[in-house]
Amino acid sequence: MALPLPPGLTPSEVGFLCEMEHVTVIPRQTLDGLELLGGPTGALKPPFPTPLPLWLALLLKKQRRANITPPPWLSVDALTQILDFETDERTAELFSPSPNLPPATTTAPLEGDPYLAHDSLELSAPFLKDAATARAQADALPYHWLEIGHLLITHAPDDFEDLDAVRKLLRDLREVRMSKLRKGFEVLDAGGGVKMNGVGGMEIAEVRGFVGGVVDGLRKLNRSREESRKERETEERENGFGSSSYRDDEDEDML
Amino acid sequence: MAVRLRGRPAHAPGPTYLSYTPNGKKLVTVGVNGALRVFQHGSDNEPAIIDVLTDGHTAVASTNDFIVVGAEDGSVTKYSLLTNSMEEILVRCSLPVRDVSLSKDGEWVAVASDELEVKVVNTRDMTRILHLRDQSRPVKNVSFDVSGSTLAVSCTDGIVYMYSLSSEQPTLIKRVDGLIKTLETDVEVSAKVAWHPDGRAFAAPTATRARSDWQRHKAFSGGHRADISAAAWSPNGALLATAGVDKSLCIWETRSQRLLKSYDDVQNAILAIDWHPTDNVCSYTNNNGELFIREDFVPGEHAKHLRIALQPAPLNNDPLSEISGNARKQLSNGDKPNGARRSAEDQYLDDLLGPDAMSDDEMDFIEDDDGAGYAEETNDVGKRSAVANGGRPAKRHAPFAAWKPQVHEAFQPGSTPWRGDRRYLCLNMTGFVWTVNQDTHHTVTVEFHDRQEHRDFHFTDPYKYDKGSLNEKGTLFSCRPSTQTQQRAVLYYRPHETWTTRTDWRTQLPVGEEVTSMSLSESCIVATTSKGYVRIYSLFGLPLKVYRQKSMPAVTCASWRDYVMTVGNGLVGGDGTTRMLYTIDNVRRDELCQSEDVVALREGTELRNIFFSDKGDPCIYDTEGVLLILLHWRTPGQAKWVPLLDTKTMDRLASGRKDETYWPVAVANNKFHCIILKGGDVYPHFPRPLLVDFDFKIPVSSFPAGAADDEDKDAAQQKNLEEQYVRASLQHSLASDLVDNTNATSAQKTEVPVMEREVDKALLQLLAAECREGEERGMKALEIAALMRDRTGKMLEAAGKIAARFQRDILGEKITQLAERRLVGLVDEEDM
Repeated sequence: MALPLPPGLTPSEVGFLCEMEHVTVIPRQTLDGLELLGGPTGALKPPFPTPLPLWLALLLKKQRRANITPPPWLSVDALTQILDFETDERTAELFSPSPNLPPATTTAPLEGDPYLAHDSLELSAPFLKDAATARAQADALPYHWLEIGHLLITHAPDDFEDLDAVRKLLRDLREVRMSKLRKGFEVLDAGGGVKMNGVGGMEIAEVRGFVGGVVDGLRKLNRSREESRKERETEERENGFGSSSYRDDEDEDML
Repeated sequence: MAVRLRGRPAHAPGPTYLSYTPNGKKLVTVGVNGALRVFQHGSDNEPAIIDVLTDGHTAVASTNDFIVVGAEDGSVTKYSLLTNSMEEILVRCSLPVRDVSLSKDGEWVAVASDELEVKVVNTRDMTRILHLRDQSRPVKNVSFDVSGSTLAVSCTDGIVYMYSLSSEQPTLIKRVDGLIKTLETDVEVSAKVAWHPDGRAFAAPTATRARSDWQRHKAFSGGHRADISAAAWSPNGALLATAGVDKSLCIWETRSQRLLKSYDDVQNAILAIDWHPTDNVCSYTNNNGELFIREDFVPGEHAKHLRIALQPAPLNNDPLSEISGNARKQLSNGDKPNGARRSAEDQYLDDLLGPDAMSDDEMDFIEDDDGAGYAEETNDVGKRSAVANGGRPAKRHAPFAAWKPQVHEAFQPGSTPWRGDRRYLCLNMTGFVWTVNQDTHHTVTVEFHDRQEHRDFHFTDPYKYDKGSLNEKGTLFSCRPSTQTQQRAVLYYRPHETWTTRTDWRTQLPVGEEVTSMSLSESCIVATTSKGYVRIYSLFGLPLKVYRQKSMPAVTCASWRDYVMTVGNGLVGGDGTTRMLYTIDNVRRDELCQSEDVVALREGTELRNIFFSDKGDPCIYDTEGVLLILLHWRTPGQAKWVPLLDTKTMDRLASGRKDETYWPVAVANNKFHCIILKGGDVYPHFPRPLLVDFDFKIPVSSFPAGAADDEDKDAAQQKNLEEQYVRASLQHSLASDLVDNTNATSAQKTEVPVMEREVDKALLQLLAAECREGEERGMKALEIAALMRDRTGKMLEAAGKIAARFQRDILGEKITQLAERRLVGLVDEEDM
């Protein structure tokens, strides 16, 4: 029996997945490398910064064994810059772009983008490395920006230089981007589409329920119309006459 | 910075003025209340107070021994700085005094009051008074030029009167009209003329003017939105500080009239500015009775302007302009002032003074009636420099500072100066030591990065330790000798852990000796002292060695295990500063690895930090932001400094938006660890900033990182590979040096072949790039193949395969030949 869960990932599941992202940690005590399922971690030797999975970093942080360095995009300067981009009139339609993809490691068989070729394996978000470590790109929000930002602010508040400003900026960003997404709902229709380049995982999870519901509902409504039309057409073919009044009724039903 | 800056309430709220004594030791302020305050430079103590009968002081001027103060009741009084008491009233005017100015020798004081005439009074004999009566309205400001022969009188009618005082009878030589504004005598706006220290130009609160032709030459414009209330040239004339009634404060560069910095944290209008004669300190007083002593006044990147020798004034058609751009030529001219420069100066003065002053003998040009007064200051050995004895009138040399070699100051690696009441004594990869000044004592805190291994500790420090050094084994402190308590300099070592009871120890240095720098390693303690000794102790306080350092005075020292590196001031180089020399000594084996070798610093740069890397190679970081490592230093005479990273060329600065510098901490794990300093800071401050690490990047070529099109990308990739090759070869030679010269661990031994492979890998990639380029690049490709270090032939085999893949058959053949020759032992290096 299947679980009675909506399709797709729920926000809590997305939050759980983001804990696999690596963050940079400044250890406060030594620890040998661990062999984890997700891959081995580096040995911790204070004060050398080391990348660790977020869940482990949070665990060490709670035990006061490490400090977490917030990724560069979680600084006041970077967030302000991204927020400016989001609120600028000229780019009002767009979401701020996601981080640059790393240079392709494999070569495309033909001239072309290896990211688009079928037989090459190139990682893209959310599988990019260093999305939230100290080496992350400063001027772009990675896929898990909202979750990581939230987790770091709640669990490692003392590692931020200006916590309140960061919190405020994150909130602003979230609201700006959500309103953009909501604007996209207006055009939701059977054939409508919203360009969602640069939208983060949590944002997708948040709107998935609504958008999925709307699109699904529309499809259901359309299906009944489609089916009835098909029935009618077969009837017409069989009977050889049509009824305009019947069609009008159906249109009223649709409204 | 704004947080740190707090005014010192010097006087009751109201107009306040100040003056530095020419030797820079004291700072005198006067205000509306009946007391004068004498601050000691560089001390935070309460100033000495001279209680006086007058109040409402309006002007002050000082020499090393006495000050002259003008007050609103019309009196000009002389006070002794030696006894801090009143000496005599020099002159009494019927109306308030507005300004006083002392000639450089302190012989004459010019007094501007609301009376029409300006009085010039002899400070020793108050009966000798000159009266200057040419102006038609009261005078606002007076100002002696550097030679003391010309007095600029700024009158409220908007005219600057220039008087020559070189003869007994003062003569008006020029009225400069339209330069200053017409002002009332009691407004805050100043009309004071500020003479450039080279005596050829002056700045008035609208423009700069040369004195040869009294023409307006250069304007410093764009910094103030309101009238200027004060202006002062830096002691060498390279910078000009101005303040406006709009509460602004600006620093200008003289040569280009460029605004260097504008301070916006001024709360009240500044009435008087004065530069400290030698340090990067500028003080100002405002109309609210407050004194501000601004340390590090000139931002770090411009501070070099203060250290250069006397700068020429920025004149149009300056015959010296072609050399003024080059500080070194400038200096050598100052060195022998009888050269070309002198004649140019004479020309100016002769033009100015006309036939009357052009007597046959230049000696009589100015009556040097006091004999010694006009001569320049004696240097620190108590003699006048040779220049003054050159048979020319000493007075003429006064504008030119006596040349002295510049000695590098001693510093303790990893420490910062006081800021507020705290400073770091040591900041490294083990932890950090800081001290807080509590006036009667200090409190020292030691914190570790690794909290599990060591416990942080904290203690009250009655000795006031001023140097600290920290490593995994213990902490070392030292304090200065104190004359008051007869306390001698002390070294204090506190081990972190022991298996007996705590074994911390103190040792006293001989009387009069002071620790200039010290260093703690895993096996010994090194201290360089003010007497030129290097003292080496064991970790338990046993003195192991004492020897005199060859290059003195000592600058700093560093140590790693048994290797001790001491840096001292050596011979004077071409730029007038001493060359820093270092010596590396293995104290256990008593071997000199390097003796008196040069610390390769570019002209004008300073050593910022010196440390050993985690692998034990000496590294230096200079003020230009270049990290250098010493290669082959274990073999005498073979050492060379190799740049590892030029922080100015890092990609993160490429956008040009970031204004940051780096404070070096360590080289470890093949990375450069530092602290990012923003906003012109020179040292890290509290709260403790995070350590940041950067990869090495040898400055092989500068190529923009964000290259747009593919061709650029390829070229950038190529440069990247080249850099990788150079870096890998450097690391390989560092590693093989280590293995060849020490009892290396097996891990270190395995590292050498790994590094060798890295070098060959970089070469293979370069080879592939060359092959891709085309057949015609075959020669270069072969050269690259010949550079391969691998002796097993595998790498050359791989190189042959690459050539085959790109179908470069001739190249492939040649590589095979090369491989065969190597295999049979024909040494190809000899052939080349």
